[in-house]
Amino acid sequence: MDSSFDSSGIARPLAPVRPLPEAAARSAQAVQVRTRKSRWPARLDLLQSASGLFLALFLVGHMFFVSSILISKEAFYAVARFFEGAYFLAEPRPWLVSGVVGVVLTVFVAHAWLAMRKFPANFRQYKVFAEHKAQLRHGDTGLWWIQLWTGFALFFLGTVHLYGMLTQPELIGPYESADRIWTGNMWPLYLLLLFAVEIHGSIGLYRLALKWGWLEGRDPAATRRRLRAAKTAFSVFFLGLGLASLLAYVQLGIAHADKAGERYVPQRASAVKLGELEFALSRRPGG
Amino acid sequence: MRIIYTDVLVVGGGLAGLRAAVGARRRGHDVIILSLVPPKRSHSAAAQGGMQASLGNTVKGEGDNEDVHFEDTVRGSDWGCDQDVARLFVHTAPQAVRELAAWGVPWNRIKAGDREVIMDGKRVTLTEGQAAHGLIAARDFGGTKKWRTCYVSDGTGHAMLYAVSDQAVAESIPVHERMEALALIHEGGRCHGAVVRNLVSGELTAYVAKATCIATGGFGRIYRVTSNAVINEGIGAAIALETGAACLGNMEAVQFHPTTIFPAGILVTEGCRGDGGLLKDAAGHRFMPDYEPEKKELASRDVVSRRMEEHIRAGHGVKSRFGEHLWLDITLLGAAHIDGKLREVKEICQHFLGIDPSRDLIPVRPAQHYSMGGIRTDARGHARGLKGLFACGEAACWDLHGFNRLGGNSVAETVVAGMIVGENMADFVESAAGELQVSTALVRECLDAEQAKLDTLLHGNGTESGAELMRRMQDIMTDKVGIFRTGELLHSAVEELQGLLVRSRRIGLRTRRPGANPELVTAYRVQKMLKLALCVAYGALQRTESRGAHFREDYPRRDDASWLKRTLATWHDDFQTLPTLDYEALDVTAMELPPGWRGYGARNAIEHPATAGRAAEISAIRSAFGHADRFTVQQALMPFDHLIPSRFRGRNARLGETS
Amino acid sequence: MKKNAVSSGHRALTLRILRSSPTEGVAPHWQDFHLEEAEGMTLFIALNEVRETLDPALQFDFVCRAGICGSCGMLINGKPGLACRSLTRDLDPLITLAPLPVFELIGDLSVNTGKWMRGTAERLETWVHSSQEADLTALEAPMEPELAEAIYELDRCIECGCCVAGCGTLRMREEFVGAIGLNKIARFRLDPRDERSDDDFYQLIGDDTGVFGCMSLLACQDVCPKGLPLQTQIAFLRRKMVASGL
Repeated sequence: MDSSFDSSGIARPLAPVRPLPEAAARSAQAVQVRTRKSRWPARLDLLQSASGLFLALFLVGHMFFVSSILISKEAFYAVARFFEGAYFLAEPRPWLVSGVVGVVLTVFVAHAWLAMRKFPANFRQYKVFAEHKAQLRHGDTGLWWIQLWTGFALFFLGTVHLYGMLTQPELIGPYESADRIWTGNMWPLYLLLLFAVEIHGSIGLYRLALKWGWLEGRDPAATRRRLRAAKTAFSVFFLGLGLASLLAYVQLGIAHADKAGERYVPQRASAVKLGELEFALSRRPGG
Repeated sequence: MRIIYTDVLVVGGGLAGLRAAVGARRRGHDVIILSLVPPKRSHSAAAQGGMQASLGNTVKGEGDNEDVHFEDTVRGSDWGCDQDVARLFVHTAPQAVRELAAWGVPWNRIKAGDREVIMDGKRVTLTEGQAAHGLIAARDFGGTKKWRTCYVSDGTGHAMLYAVSDQAVAESIPVHERMEALALIHEGGRCHGAVVRNLVSGELTAYVAKATCIATGGFGRIYRVTSNAVINEGIGAAIALETGAACLGNMEAVQFHPTTIFPAGILVTEGCRGDGGLLKDAAGHRFMPDYEPEKKELASRDVVSRRMEEHIRAGHGVKSRFGEHLWLDITLLGAAHIDGKLREVKEICQHFLGIDPSRDLIPVRPAQHYSMGGIRTDARGHARGLKGLFACGEAACWDLHGFNRLGGNSVAETVVAGMIVGENMADFVESAAGELQVSTALVRECLDAEQAKLDTLLHGNGTESGAELMRRMQDIMTDKVGIFRTGELLHSAVEELQGLLVRSRRIGLRTRRPGANPELVTAYRVQKMLKLALCVAYGALQRTESRGAHFREDYPRRDDASWLKRTLATWHDDFQTLPTLDYEALDVTAMELPPGWRGYGARNAIEHPATAGRAAEISAIRSAFGHADRFTVQQALMPFDHLIPSRFRGRNARLGETS
Repeated sequence: MKKNAVSSGHRALTLRILRSSPTEGVAPHWQDFHLEEAEGMTLFIALNEVRETLDPALQFDFVCRAGICGSCGMLINGKPGLACRSLTRDLDPLITLAPLPVFELIGDLSVNTGKWMRGTAERLETWVHSSQEADLTALEAPMEPELAEAIYELDRCIECGCCVAGCGTLRMREEFVGAIGLNKIARFRLDPRDERSDDDFYQLIGDDTGVFGCMSLLACQDVCPKGLPLQTQIAFLRRKMVASGL
């Protein structure tokens, strides 16, 4: 590639252009026969986007499930047990949650690995980008910088959270989670994680749409403005929801601090009207 | 001493130079292109409206062919052109368009069925035939009987330049950018290449070549008000002039384009009027029909520009803080048309005037636009007086345009001349005459001479400012050698320019660095440009008639009896302050179209004594051939086939024309 | 001077220019030039005035001065743009001008875009690849009018380098082809006269120095003086190249 840039011969000492001797020309041609380009860059690019999309969609679901605490402890309890298969298996199986978390963690690590390719590879690149961003004052360029830093933060914040869920899936429940957050001093990490993941996710979805040309419509510029607005709305909504949920857990955690470690037991299984649910809950030990 | 050897050296990376280079390269010769700027930045890119070629695809081009294009071109030139060259050109132009189409130029295409156009201020429906669907479209331009101007929106030159430049890359032709030829290496009437200055390092290199081609474009920048790019300073023509062997033809023939935005002088295409735009005065009155009832806004450029200035003189101009102007009204074309076919015009109006041309009128006034004159060549593009030197495009006086060029014929000339000169250079290089016989002593002498001139500027004790002389020259040219010329004004212009030329020998610099030094560049260029300016002004002073764009108020008639001849300017030694002028008579008895009325403009020419005889001869030939096809008749009138390079012989196919 | 400027109703402008001269070893430094604004003044006019009256050595590039040749790309208050068509009245009285990054610096505001663009043309083979020579005297092959217009839409690139200078990816990784290169590929891909297939194009841009290197920062789209549809074209190419590469 360097040679192609050089071959224009601009402002350089120039030798008279002479055709190569025949033998040399033949060998030069042989070298020119291209080796076929690897297909992996295409696959990796698609995988990066696909893993990001999967994580973003998972995040949306996850936020809704977690926020069920805002409805009631029972609601969250029901959701948690649901993911343990309580409603279609003989009994809840927390390893199912571990399984899901395992998949998510795998995708998460894969995404991080793929996205890392785009990180500045050295200090020169880092510096040049930082300068460029400051000079250009350009919205989407700035967003990428945010994505870079939130992504970097997620390496740690996300991993800690996911590891906890992977190893202690049974400790997902109103009191269990609240105790972890408050008494277990996880709330600062969750607060940071919340911001990092929501901002990263919303920018990521926005960029995905632009990158692959989704929803371009007849006026891509207008679509881009709308997507930007949607991105902001996404961030605001999920940050709000997340903060409210986190606050609810903190409150619960404070209230439950003196009994920390006690598992949650639903008061009235019949609070949830669904027959199957009722049935399932009735079969829980101690239910 | 750095010497680079090549078969063909092309000076200038615009359309003409690039196409000539590709031609010679494809014949198997080594070619190097020198360019002041990256080739895609050349001023060819600024050609907006289109390229004339008689494809005859569109319904308004039906019946068009080489004959009609030929007649339009000769009339447009006010019989100043070389009719052999005009024939050669109109024959090759359709091939040029088709070659460019194959190279990727996205020519606008015809859509079968009805479409609405604006003609003469009125909405008209045209119906394109099914057979023409998808073929190359054409728009109307000034001075033409048919719609013949093939176009790519209003970025025609851009699209063409990029396609040809990419072909040069495909052919691996090296382009040495930011290189300026300062002098030609020549001896005994044979050109051997050029002394070239690297504009970044300041270093001089000798490029020694079997054939050298100058394709450096026009010299509009000797004027203050011009549509030309800042690099159009005519240095290629000037270094040919400075050989004392080659000569410049018809330098007084300078075209003023009717519609450049006021006051910046930036071009808005003739396509605006071709597509139906109107010229209006301060009162909002459409005045062109008053002067030119036949062609109205679409008379030739010299006529329209003159009428506009005449109208302003009569007190109908729009007054503004920068002076007076007129209006170009394209609002009637509608936003959709402007967005699609006149988008560069729209961008220019937005950025430089802050207006939207689909709603607002565009302030326009004529400005210098094109140099019909240049290095005089024969029909093969070989310079007169200097073997091994070729020229093509605006830099040349191949003499396709005579005293007025038709819109759309210049961008066409660039590629057509490039095609022809490329082949002819290859022929020359392959011939015995093309053998290189140059001594390194001569090369060293030329290099040393140029270095000495630069050193004098850099380290001498001159006190004159190059920028000041440049400004003064530009003012003189715009004020005194413009659209309306008089003996008195021209005389004072010549005197003043001579004074400037003498002063230019004593230029001193504030920046003495030898490398990238814009002040140094201005200094040596203004010395050369003053010589060109003197060729223009002095040629205009001597030519006591009005022909095409050269209009003398004191001699308002075209005088075929005394002036049916081409001015040839030479500059034998550096201490001359005026060019030596010679004249080359045009042979009426060999013309296919003897002088007559153009069909627009004044009708007051003084007839050449041979005109009537030739006209009678032609009608005799025509009646003798009776029903023979047009090619046979043409062949009998003025054979030109021998001038066509073998690659480009053969008849151009057209819709509905059986050959 | 300032007083005069106020009394004549024109602003006093300061051009803060990043000066340098690599051939003479002069390191980059800022230099201020003061001049009075004029009616309809563009940076083309202002810079020429500086050169004529204040510093004849100042280097910059203009050719057409009409916004069509792409010579005068520079950083205007940090953003890449064409100087010739930037009206001073649209800018604050303090205007900073710097050469475009990425490209080889010639001096002051002048950079070697030509060398870079030629490199791109050679690397991406930006010409119509056709196995047969056209018969010039025959009728041209027809093309749908809409297709011709769509090709021209992408052919309007003037190689000014603004997208290159605006691209954060390219700033970090100079081997990235940039929007200009991708747009060229999109243009030739659209052109039926070019016989290359998606597989051929994949060979040219199917990696992280090509289309997959693009991080969709879209400054290219936002600074392009010609308003080229770079965002949608790159997205389109990405889909095609992924399909070709899978």
